[in-house]
Amino acid sequence: VTQSAAAPPPATQPAPAQAAPPAKARRGFWPAPTGKPVGAGVENTPALLNRLQIIGVTTVLLFGLASALVQFLSYQSDGRAADDTEQLVRVQEIQSTLLRADAIATNLALLGGSGDPQQIADRDADYDTAIADVFTLIAQAAEAQPADEEALSALNVAVSEYATAIAEARSNLRQNFPVGKEYLSGGSSALRSDALPILENLVTANSERAEDSMNGQHPFWLLLLGALAFGVLIWVSLVLARRFRRYVNTGVAVAAVLVLVTTLVAAIAAWRGDSQNDGLLDNELRSAVDQAEARTAGNDAKAYESLRLVKRGSGTTYEPLWQESADVVVDNADPSILREWEAYVAKHKQIVRNDDQDFRQPALRVATADDGTGSNKPFSDFDTAAQDLVDENARTTTDQLRAGRAVALVGSILTLLIGLLAAVAVVRGIGARRREYS
Amino acid sequence: MSVAMRLAAVALAAAFLAGCGYEDTPLPEEPEASAATSAPDCETPDESGTDPVASYDPGDGVPTGPKLDEIRSRGRLIVGVSADTYLMASENPELGNRIEGFDIEFAREIGSAIFGAGFNAGRNLELRVITASQRIPLLSAGELDLVIRNFTINSQRWGCIAFSAEYYHSGQKVLVGSSLADGDEENGEYRDPSDLAGLRVCAPTGSTSLVNIRDAEQDAKIEPAANHTGCLVKFQRGEVDAITGDDTVLAGLAAQDPYAVVPEQEPLSDEPYGIGVNQEDIDLVRFVNYVLEEMRDEKWEAAYERWLRPVLDPEGDDNVSQPTPTYGR
Repeated sequence: VTQSAAAPPPATQPAPAQAAPPAKARRGFWPAPTGKPVGAGVENTPALLNRLQIIGVTTVLLFGLASALVQFLSYQSDGRAADDTEQLVRVQEIQSTLLRADAIATNLALLGGSGDPQQIADRDADYDTAIADVFTLIAQAAEAQPADEEALSALNVAVSEYATAIAEARSNLRQNFPVGKEYLSGGSSALRSDALPILENLVTANSERAEDSMNGQHPFWLLLLGALAFGVLIWVSLVLARRFRRYVNTGVAVAAVLVLVTTLVAAIAAWRGDSQNDGLLDNELRSAVDQAEARTAGNDAKAYESLRLVKRGSGTTYEPLWQESADVVVDNADPSILREWEAYVAKHKQIVRNDDQDFRQPALRVATADDGTGSNKPFSDFDTAAQDLVDENARTTTDQLRAGRAVALVGSILTLLIGLLAAVAVVRGIGARRREYS
Repeated sequence: MSVAMRLAAVALAAAFLAGCGYEDTPLPEEPEASAATSAPDCETPDESGTDPVASYDPGDGVPTGPKLDEIRSRGRLIVGVSADTYLMASENPELGNRIEGFDIEFAREIGSAIFGAGFNAGRNLELRVITASQRIPLLSAGELDLVIRNFTINSQRWGCIAFSAEYYHSGQKVLVGSSLADGDEENGEYRDPSDLAGLRVCAPTGSTSLVNIRDAEQDAKIEPAANHTGCLVKFQRGEVDAITGDDTVLAGLAAQDPYAVVPEQEPLSDEPYGIGVNQEDIDLVRFVNYVLEEMRDEKWEAAYERWLRPVLDPEGDDNVSQPTPTYGR
């Protein structure tokens, strides 16, 4: 701006109306590289130079700003994707831990008040830990994503009611009162009708957020911006070349090269980032989500297994529900943890065989034994293996998203600086012509 | 440059907006409450006009006949029972989850009579836990020999199955909190259904108990639950003030809660309990009636004394006894 204002007006500036006819007469004429402006003294060359400088500088600054912005948005987007992925994994962990708590509580009910005190104490501690984990995760999730706050508040209420029902169930079952079973089955049922739909909404919302955020790389826009800026600079060069009989204006050419190289580097980086995100979405994140779903469904099935024994004679009610959840496990579980699941299923079938014939004690023994003869150990192995896979894949996803986003931030800052550098180059290039003219 | 600065400002604002602005996670919609209705469990009622409590003559008690022979050759008597009706039939975790209660005493007596001195409950008596809605279908399908599970005899059911003679005369009563049965008039006392005006009363969804109490006191606020134990949960949480149902069921509920009582009252309905048998197995019905006659006085009294009297008649002044049988089918 200062340059255009400071440029001295030519002594004999012709009226624009007078400049038009000679320009028309030279249309299609390529001037010889004399270093002198063609038609000097006839056209308003300083004004033209001012205009070209404004156009050139604005173009490269806008390019720098817009391209940096696109890369900054990608940086932000990858950061959000990492946060959204963590939140998705967190709400899925709430879901599976809550059902883990239910699987433990229903299994604990089978021990009644007269089981092995050490076994009861251990299972009590497992249940308490699971419920405490759920409340901790809810608090962390509410802090991490304000958009989830309302849903998490409702979930908090539902989990509190569930925990109260289980406490009432445990107290009554210790006295061998059948009402304890009603508290237990009522609590389990309310958990599925009140808390799980909220969690399903949370999982859906956070899956969509994570996927949207992972699609935040825009190589096409970077290319388009670069192409536009490059095109404008070429046009400026052509106009200058026509006027000053020089093929190349060094400053504008440097700016054009800077724009071209920056665009190519940024677009390639964005394309690689985009591919990496697609890969994470299709592999690690997909796996984390699927294994969490398998773990949730597995615990759901384990709770149904216990409930069929808690409510004696209810096999026809609970077995179809067990099967439904087991199908979800088989559909989602990684082959590496299916072996643990199948070991559990073998024990479950043993329970069903006994229970269907009303062999109560053998069925209860298999359902409650914590050693290899019961269903608890293989199930616990499956649960741990599934959670390990979730943790591993979720960590890889967030680590890679966070590592990749640094490239976008550095690119964004560099692009901004290169935009400024290109603007300086344009000013210097056009300044050279202005000096030649004066 | 000013244009560039404006554009930059817009771009920065866009960048800021892009960093926030997630839509709130929606809450699930409240599911609409479905009004459960109870369908009759037998669609071909007995319209012969025979007194519903009338059963088949017990005969001489010789355990012979096609069904009895089948049971003996099988080596097991299969009886459909409840496992969660406290005092009538429920699991006792302290005894290896054995099912015990008033109803189970009859199952054991009948099994013992069929198999004689060698009767072993673990080997010769299979107690199959069923729901109330499974009683008639499983009997009709021949999967059960008997059903002893709070089974009220009526003409409707006689159309699908057969019943033994009445073995217990139950009736619909009301359970309340102990404050409504402590003799303190200022606090309100329960004497009859009119005392339920303005109070919240629980009965299982779609049950005849629910209809009866609504007819008896229209100002009572009806709060249905899935079953009677569900009503006790509501009662203990202070969501209802009273529960209505058969006195046997209420006895089981009161035994689980020191603040629940079934006060002295006239029953709202008569519920004659019988043992359900397949319509074809008349030899078995006769034999069951013979066993019931054999239980009269001593064994019946002992069962009542052990399971129901402590809650239903703690003062022992009701003179409850085994109902007098009616035969004539």
